[in-house]
Amino acid sequence: MNEQISALIDDEIALEDAAHLMAALQANSGAAQAWSHYHLIGDAMRGTEALSPNFKHNLMQKIELEPTVLSPNAAQFNQNDVEKSDKQTAIHIASAKHKLPAAWSIAASFAAVMVVSYMVLQTQFSNNGALTQVAQAPTLQVADTIQLALAPQDVPMLVTANEQAIPEEYLMAHQASAPTASSYYIQTASYSK
Amino acid sequence: MMFKYFVLVCLFASASLNVQAASDEDAWQALQKAADAAHVLSYQGIFVCQSGQHTKSVEIKHMFNGQQEYSRNVVLDGAPREVFSQGGNLTIYNPKNEKIIIEKRRGQNMFPAILPTNLVAVKASYSVRTGETERVADRQAQVLLLEPKDNLRYGYRFWVDTEYGLVLKSVMFNNRNETMDSIAFSQVNLFNTVDLDWFKPKIDANKNYVMEDEIAAQADNNPSPHWVLKELPAGYRKVDQMMRTVRGKALPVTHVIFSDGLASVSLFIEPLANGAKPRVGRSVVGNTSFYSNVTGFLQITVLGEVPEATVAQIANAVVFVK
Repeated sequence: MNEQISALIDDEIALEDAAHLMAALQANSGAAQAWSHYHLIGDAMRGTEALSPNFKHNLMQKIELEPTVLSPNAAQFNQNDVEKSDKQTAIHIASAKHKLPAAWSIAASFAAVMVVSYMVLQTQFSNNGALTQVAQAPTLQVADTIQLALAPQDVPMLVTANEQAIPEEYLMAHQASAPTASSYYIQTASYSK
Repeated sequence: MMFKYFVLVCLFASASLNVQAASDEDAWQALQKAADAAHVLSYQGIFVCQSGQHTKSVEIKHMFNGQQEYSRNVVLDGAPREVFSQGGNLTIYNPKNEKIIIEKRRGQNMFPAILPTNLVAVKASYSVRTGETERVADRQAQVLLLEPKDNLRYGYRFWVDTEYGLVLKSVMFNNRNETMDSIAFSQVNLFNTVDLDWFKPKIDANKNYVMEDEIAAQADNNPSPHWVLKELPAGYRKVDQMMRTVRGKALPVTHVIFSDGLASVSLFIEPLANGAKPRVGRSVVGNTSFYSNVTGFLQITVLGEVPEATVAQIANAVVFVK
């Protein structure tokens, strides 16, 4: 039985001929276990990465680190009962502010279109001084709009090609087995994790 | 007449060469004395350790009772990390949040015992010369310069106690003479008692003491069928090979260590996981150089406290075998 399951995993038995195996897999827990073991062995031999032992912990930590999003929808939800008191008027104003990002994203799209059209214009009329100047006037505004539209965390980090930070996990392994005199006392890699 | 002058010049030249050779030999002997002194003397003091932006003061007590060495090193700044060494076996008490993690390591080049007691490998890759006499930690010290013969390693400057031979200060520098790393006693004295009541950690009753959980590394004696090492950078040889778990990696990684007697380089080899993005890049951060590339289906990662050329050469020495 197990040999046949192994053959099925390796594509050595056609699916049409494997109906009895499928039935066995559903009926027999030993066969089902063999099925998952063989897959695990195959994955390990191919080097397919399994989830790391700390996967859940790491994932929860990543989620913890995510910035809290103050949702504009939630603010809008309250808007109907807003004009009850002065206090809530303040909330109303705040919620109006929360709407801004939508306007900004429209501005950003518009700005993007302007940049592209400017670039097209400039290549087409680069020999014509007058036209280029006309085209330049709106770009100044465009640049401002883009800056408004992009929140700081949206700006991609500029990393020089080929320059990388030293992966901490390897640095730790190096310092554990081939320490320098100072690495006994100064851990450049963060050992706090 | 011309011939006479020629002979004179030859004699003079060979005499000065002899003087040069003799002073080299003296310097090597002084270095050998320094290498031994750190193991066979009993001393205590405080040294300051500086690497990149980081500085730590460390209190050391080292004792040799005629058979075995014992040393206790307590970090005085920041977390009170304690490093105990007994005949080269290290036990590190490493405070981490509310716990104290107990780590076991092999110790080899702890200050002031930075130099290996066997200097043969060092002699092949470095030349030595005697410098000035300077005062360090209220002691007279002879400066010994250990200069690399090529650009594959950094140089060292040692301040050696003129009386006892102990290394009082050590500085690692690059080919632009910039300091990469330095350790120096600010205060040191010898003692000759042999009791061991000081050789125990400061136990904090409010903290949990736990052994480091991961099985860090296992010796790896099986030659891999998928890679071989061709020419290594001059002076470097393989000193260790192991399989180790690396955080975030599902499978164990092969870890090979190379050394020229003073500098160490780590090479990590692992199969490129299906769908994983190959890492190709390089960087130099502080005194550490890093280089990674891919050969066949192997991810190669090399790093060490050496110039960039060395890590690149070691990475490129790995040849993939189908």
